[in-house]
Amino acid sequence: MSGDEVNPAAVAQPVEDVHGDGRWISQHTRFVQECKDAEPDVLFVGDSMIQLMQQYEVWRELFSPLHALNFGIGGDTTCNVLWRLQNGELENIRPKVVVLWVGTNNYEHTAEQVAGGILAIVELLISCLPKAKIVVLGLLPRGEHPNPLREKNAAVNGFLRSWLPRLGQAQLLDVSGEFVHSGGAISQQDMFDFLHLTLSGYRNVSKPLSDLLLQILEDTPEERRASLV
Amino acid sequence: MSAEDPNPAATPTPCEDTQGDGRWMSLHNRFVSDSKDKEPDVLFVGDSLIQLMHQFGIWRQLFSPLHALNFGVGGDATQHVLWRLTNGELDNISPKVVVLWVGTNNHGHTPEQICGGIMAIIQVIKNKLPHAHTLVLGLLPRGKNPNPLRERNAEVNKLVQEAVSSLAHASFLNVDPGFVHSNCTISHQDMYDYLHLTPKGYQAVCEPLHAHLTSMLDKPAEN
Ligand SMILES: [Ca+2]
Repeated sequence: MSGDEVNPAAVAQPVEDVHGDGRWISQHTRFVQECKDAEPDVLFVGDSMIQLMQQYEVWRELFSPLHALNFGIGGDTTCNVLWRLQNGELENIRPKVVVLWVGTNNYEHTAEQVAGGILAIVELLISCLPKAKIVVLGLLPRGEHPNPLREKNAAVNGFLRSWLPRLGQAQLLDVSGEFVHSGGAISQQDMFDFLHLTLSGYRNVSKPLSDLLLQILEDTPEERRASLV
Repeated sequence: MSAEDPNPAATPTPCEDTQGDGRWMSLHNRFVSDSKDKEPDVLFVGDSLIQLMHQFGIWRQLFSPLHALNFGVGGDATQHVLWRLTNGELDNISPKVVVLWVGTNNHGHTPEQICGGIMAIIQVIKNKLPHAHTLVLGLLPRGKNPNPLRERNAEVNKLVQEAVSSLAHASFLNVDPGFVHSNCTISHQDMYDYLHLTPKGYQAVCEPLHAHLTSMLDKPAEN
């Protein structure tokens, strides 16, 4: 990607209310309000993969106890998440960790553009929350059988793997290897529509994520001081 | 709409694989092959509201014991369900009751068209499963605040309720427990994105639905 071209996946954009029920902006407005009322240690941001996690037991079991907020909106692209974070969803909160999971809905963008969009979100997070750690979840494979979107999502993860270490506070957690069985098929036991996760699919993701979050929160200096007092 | 204009909501249409991962057709094929070794008494058919029900504890608790199959596909409109049902999903099973919940995704269609789509689905079910009863669930309100789609869905319900009242093989069930509060808003505690139900929202919908299904299944079969 040459430096002087604008990456369309890194341009902040609200979702247009094409259906006319205003659901996207209603959700964003609620998240901004939640920032005023809550003091989360962990912020989850992204698309339906983040959003649906909150509807299953894993959220209450593993993430609610960490004082987590969930700002997931189904269908969001990197552009939409960028817009939300620039328009109030980071105001009044100081999370110690941000979990970012977005990119599988960026249908109009190349793998390199999607990774660049994710990187732009990470850079925004770092500039607004200079002390926070950022955990980027790798994009999962999708579709029952091998298809171009699987290859694209794997390529996004490849770019992230080489780019994210440059930003000291960010790291990639890639659990995408868990889902494709021998023969190349994805099971409905893990992804009920070959994209969205079942409870059992979320368990595959949540255990390594929760372990990582606990480790990061334990290593956070203020926590250590507080526990010594 | 003149009589010669085909109703797009009542024209069987497969979902176009615009994203390129073939998920819609995978799900349809999966349903067809699943139905070959199952003998469901109840079949649930529809969009994401049906599909997501299957993912939560309420399904195992209330509907698995009734021998229920779930053929829900997120994003489906009436014309997509119509295509699926005319292309194999009813060919290997003989459920006693078909629960149909679809229509909120028919963007760009009028309430009359959507009602026509639902009636066309009821007719396909009648043709393929002459002994089954179709229970049409009323469309839920959507959006945090009042909006045209809430009015459209309410209008669809009125039309469908009237249209099925004369049919012996179909009935209408309003499953809205009162999701719209007195200040006209819908809570994210019930619909997390102001469209899809939380486990709590499903509980409020599914308990009366389960009671209704149980009483239908208890009745001796009418022929
Ligand atoms: Ca009737």
